Amino acid sequence: MNELLYNFAVWLDSHELSTMLHESYYMYNWVESTHVLTLMLCLGMLFLIDLRMMGLAFPNIPANSFANRLNIPMLIGFSVMVFTGLWLFYAVPVRSTQSVWFRVKFFLLIAAAINAFLFHKNMINASGSWATDIKAPKIIRIGASLSLLFWMAIVICGRFIAYDWFDCEYTEPGLSQFLSGCIDGQTLF
Amino acid sequence: MSTSTAMSTSPALTWGSYRRTITSVALVLIVLVFAFSSARRVVWVDLYEFFLWMETTWFGVIGKTWGAAFAVVEAFHLLAMALLGGAVFVADFRLLGWSFPDVPAQDVLDKAHKVFVVGLIVVLSTGIFMACGVAGKIYWLPVFWYKMLALMTGILFVFFIKRPLLNRDLDEIKPWVVKLVAVASLLVWITVAATGRWIGFAGS
Repeated sequence: MNELLYNFAVWLDSHELSTMLHESYYMYNWVESTHVLTLMLCLGMLFLIDLRMMGLAFPNIPANSFANRLNIPMLIGFSVMVFTGLWLFYAVPVRSTQSVWFRVKFFLLIAAAINAFLFHKNMINASGSWATDIKAPKIIRIGASLSLLFWMAIVICGRFIAYDWFDCEYTEPGLSQFLSGCIDGQTLF
Repeated sequence: MSTSTAMSTSPALTWGSYRRTITSVALVLIVLVFAFSSARRVVWVDLYEFFLWMETTWFGVIGKTWGAAFAVVEAFHLLAMALLGGAVFVADFRLLGWSFPDVPAQDVLDKAHKVFVVGLIVVLSTGIFMACGVAGKIYWLPVFWYKMLALMTGILFVFFIKRPLLNRDLDEIKPWVVKLVAVASLLVWITVAATGRWIGFAGS
């Protein structure tokens, strides 16, 4: 599996566009800045929705209407983050594929997506007039807390990708190389 | 008679009503003139000692010694910026009429402001920690000073222009003024975030 991922990353790395994006100071930084700045829109909305469900913000606005209204800007922000995130991966494919933090972030994104699906399902299925209550029902509050934790961890992992602590190029064979999926004798990093 | 009375009292009334706004705008203008004139060099040179001292503080030592601690604080800086951004977007979108038209604007603004203050406190405290860790480097980066300028403008704008203005009955304020305040607020805080992000690129 690691070899397959490495070969795929090497193939992406062989593209001229990947090299151009990686080596372009302004283009790469613009893409990365957009990726990070969109946090304010996407995560800003998501945090407020989660805090509303937990009764910690905007208690006077009905919870379901609050979530429905903020979902649109949140999804716009999320789409931009995914788009720019893919470009960032394309610019540095080998190092990203073999980054422990990138791998953890990827699984956390899947967990956050499953949690978001269940959260919305529970919100739709919740009975009664809970929307005007200060706190949402327990099952929704658990979903909101998990969402906050997942996204905080995703941001922390995303930030850690920039650091080379566990890069295949600088580590000795062992646990970190195993987790990073380093390949014996690899020449590209 | 009534016209002349109104004319004679209007400057005092204007000053009384907009004292904080006029003071804030004047302060920002003074700082801008200072920042883009040669006068800044005198203070800038004197500040170098202060920045070197920042690196010797506990924050500076921790930030420089433990890269992981710096990275974690950096991540919380981003998370707080997201929270602050969320509060700014919700409040300004409401002022622009894009969200919650059925909820009184004052309600949305007050609740968003509470979240904004929490976000700002975390942004400032994590920002000070990070600045201590790389004080000797950021001192030389123009973009760091632009960010400080934008941040100062943002804080003055929120507490001395936006809040006092919008604390009044919004129906008494011309709609274009309300929209202008929202657009200005969005631009200021996006500038703060963008210049902050660029510090990382300029310093690498």
